[in-house]
Amino acid sequence: MNDHLQQQLIKDLLIESFEGLDNFDREMLALEKGEGNAETLNNVFRIIHTIKGSSGCIGLNKIESVAHVGESLLSLLRDGKLTFNPEMISALLEYSDALKAMLGCLEQTGHQGDVDYSALLQKLQSLQTARPVEAAPAATYGLFAEEPEAPLAPEPAPESPKPLPANAPAMVPAGVPEKAAAEKEIAARPVTSVSDTAIRVDVGQLDKLMNLVGELVLARNQIVQFTAQSQEATLLNAAQRINTITTELQENVMKTRMQPIGNVWAKFPRIVHDMALDLGKQVELVMEGKETDLDRTIIEAIKDPLTHLIRNAVDHGIETPAIRQAAGKPEKGTLTLRAFHEGGQVNIEILDNGRGINIAKVKEKAMQRALITPDQAAAMSDREVFNLIFLPGFSTADIVTNVSGRGVGMDVVKTNIEKIGGSVDVLSEAGQGTTLKIKIPLTLAIIPALIVTSGGERFAIPQVSLLELVRMEAEQARKGIEMLYGAPIYRLRGQLLPLAYLNRELKLDAPAVSSTNDAVVNIVVLQADGRQFGMVVDEINDTEEIVVKPLGKQLKGITCFAGATIMGDGKVALILDVMGLAQHANVIAEVRDRAVSAKNKAAEKVDERQTLLLFNAGQNARMAIPLSMVARLEEFPRSQVEWSGKQEVVQYRGQILPLIQIANYLPNAAATAPTPTDPVQVVVYSEAGRSVGLVVSKINDIVHEAVTVKRSHNRDGILGSAVVQDKVTDLLDVIGIIRTADPSFYEETRKI
Amino acid sequence: MTKQFCTFFVNGLFFGVEVLKVQEVIRYQGMTRVPLAPATIQGLINLRGQIVTAIDLRRRLELPPRDAEQLPMNVVVRSEDGAVSLLVDEIGDVVEIQDDIFEHPPETLKGVARELVQGVYKLKAQLLLILDTEKTVNLANAGTRA
Amino acid sequence: MRQMVSFTLRGAGHEVLEAQDGTVALSVLQTRAVDLVLTDINMPNMNGIELTRALRALPSFGKTPIILLTTESDPAKKAEGRAAGATGWIVKPFSQDQLLALVAKLLPA
Repeated sequence: MNDHLQQQLIKDLLIESFEGLDNFDREMLALEKGEGNAETLNNVFRIIHTIKGSSGCIGLNKIESVAHVGESLLSLLRDGKLTFNPEMISALLEYSDALKAMLGCLEQTGHQGDVDYSALLQKLQSLQTARPVEAAPAATYGLFAEEPEAPLAPEPAPESPKPLPANAPAMVPAGVPEKAAAEKEIAARPVTSVSDTAIRVDVGQLDKLMNLVGELVLARNQIVQFTAQSQEATLLNAAQRINTITTELQENVMKTRMQPIGNVWAKFPRIVHDMALDLGKQVELVMEGKETDLDRTIIEAIKDPLTHLIRNAVDHGIETPAIRQAAGKPEKGTLTLRAFHEGGQVNIEILDNGRGINIAKVKEKAMQRALITPDQAAAMSDREVFNLIFLPGFSTADIVTNVSGRGVGMDVVKTNIEKIGGSVDVLSEAGQGTTLKIKIPLTLAIIPALIVTSGGERFAIPQVSLLELVRMEAEQARKGIEMLYGAPIYRLRGQLLPLAYLNRELKLDAPAVSSTNDAVVNIVVLQADGRQFGMVVDEINDTEEIVVKPLGKQLKGITCFAGATIMGDGKVALILDVMGLAQHANVIAEVRDRAVSAKNKAAEKVDERQTLLLFNAGQNARMAIPLSMVARLEEFPRSQVEWSGKQEVVQYRGQILPLIQIANYLPNAAATAPTPTDPVQVVVYSEAGRSVGLVVSKINDIVHEAVTVKRSHNRDGILGSAVVQDKVTDLLDVIGIIRTADPSFYEETRKI
Repeated sequence: MTKQFCTFFVNGLFFGVEVLKVQEVIRYQGMTRVPLAPATIQGLINLRGQIVTAIDLRRRLELPPRDAEQLPMNVVVRSEDGAVSLLVDEIGDVVEIQDDIFEHPPETLKGVARELVQGVYKLKAQLLLILDTEKTVNLANAGTRA
Repeated sequence: MRQMVSFTLRGAGHEVLEAQDGTVALSVLQTRAVDLVLTDINMPNMNGIELTRALRALPSFGKTPIILLTTESDPAKKAEGRAAGATGWIVKPFSQDQLLALVAKLLPA
């Protein structure tokens, strides 16, 4: 930690502590007059706890240890294990003076001072003797090897398999065993009841807090953007710290609005039980991940869709015991509900081991209802067939039972989930069962978005609607974009993608550069209502986390906008409503049939879950390669890099490892001449005993995700792009780059 | 009983809005225009993190447009739907007026202005037109007569 | 939490590899040798204890220290972690100094 930062932290500590200690004194006096209550004790405890925590955090050990002794006494008092007497009050006031003196000394001299407080501390300790004086605080870390074999059992732990974040206490019925509401805040304390650690907070207050954090995120973005150009190390450090703290603050405030999904699930056992009885079926309901939290607004929004899916699974999925027995399955069917967090999203899965979706039957129904043509049906993949059940007007139930099929179809479920930025996917195997996978964002307020420019204005496009980006030279565009029934169409890997021009749709001025030869065409491929279309924009800028703000009622009528946000420079940008825009541009309704048939031919490659290495190369912010192509990650001090002819090399494991600067082989390489990093970050790639080192600017992360690679880019060095962690990420063409850099690499490996 | 009004000028006309309805008055700010929006909406401004719609009073009142070089001022008023900015030519003083000289809008006031003006005060120098802010920011029926 | 840990460690001059869950961590650690593993117990897909067990099963991971980030209310988890082969533990929340002290104990400079 650098000095400047340390000083800032000390300053903050001083302000906070002096204020706290003033309150502390006031509360003490109230207690002396008999005006205090349990809350008063909680307050004084919290004040001291904060001082202790903060001073410990920045290495003020003396203040921390003095604060600790008073804290122990206060915790006994608060927990009712000791009762107040006047002697304690005067000792605690003296203690407060001691803390103030040390803080005052710190403020003036920068040191904690060397006054000896042992007499006071002894007094405070002796006041705790109604109970045996507590030994040193429970160890906060340690090594098992230094411990006795028996596990530490500090106190009976509440029965909670997974700590939950601090719920808004309004949602925690009194008497529920304490979850981890206090985990972060008052962790120094042994077990208590919820009434001590939880306070009721108005939901409106939390929303306000959330809005403020939203503002902070914006200001943070601005600062980070601004300081990135600075060379000042202190400023950069402070900015980095603000960055980290803001992110953590945002996460924690978000958590206060979280509720476990179990709250919604609570009524499902009864529903399943009653339905099973009704239908003469046997169903076991298994629920995993009840404690997974979601923002309360989202909890509300998914209640009905989930209920519908559960009903569907029992009604259509699970067979009667007789049928199950005949199929060699246990009579009792299993319905599993599973929820878990992954990549900033919540995944909810509904699995049944029932009959599965009958592909032939679905096709037949879809044809009967004229949703698809026989030709289309013949060409469809299983996955596409499954997705037919989400089309409006589709229902596979042979008999309309009283439990489901009441007009609410799967299309409504899908629409409701998509409304909140989620997605739903279905997998099924005949005779084995069906799995519905739902992905929803953790919260609605802050979303990742792609920023584009058109007609000189910036617009934000929510990442959830974004599939890929296509950039074409004008020449290429002239060939690629054709007119079909009077509407512009782009052939994207054989699929006909209807196009809309943002400038035209929004009646914006044409871009400054008219469509001359050197102009570039940028297509943002979007998805609305399960159908794809391309939006031509002037410029593609960047992805950012944006705070969604509502528009005034004067603008509610314009369906093309979902809201507005404030950009890093303080200006307002509109957020595009992809669905509304698609309807406005008429790109999804009229091409619906064509899109369906074209989709069959789409060579979209859906990979299973992959592990990807994410890194930066020059200014190419998000690049990825499959981890399976990585032999090792290494870093070398710059001084070890040598030149062998025109080739940069390092000595590595007794061999000469040629280095390739990836950034030089990427588009706009000239503009992004990489600033050399020290140490040099190298991804080692090996093939048949030969190795080469790919030099990157920064290794960011390794993620394990299902990725859909879009191979569209005609960009050197890039295979295509994929959405990884909700952000568009370019996949590096490792083999192509190596081939360009060293044409002999693969030949020689072959010879060996 | 006296009432206080925040006053401003639009195309030479002298308007007033009850002080209690005015959140603040700020200088011209760069704004983001809203494509497809009615012409009365000049754009969106960032008011300390709050996004506020700016309505051009000249257009709203169907008055001739402002000279290009003349930058309007923002009178930010509180409405049922949150803050809305009214773009005016120039800001006047806050005036305190005896309640009893309030009169209905004169017959000479025509068009939209007649709907949006609650009443007038005959001041010594000039006629003060009191604007109904709720009606002014409600564009649902605006433009139908345009 | 992960950010705070990596921020602290990077600040102290350590090189840090991050993984969002146990499965990812395991695949990373199969390709890259490290001096120390810090893992939360509660993670999606593969929890910290499962990860510890899986790592200990790797031949190259016999001695690498593995530290579990745990909550105070979980003595049972601590015992489970010990049985799985973890080297030590640290109770959440912890200060930057505590974390660095523990790391220093295991990685003498």
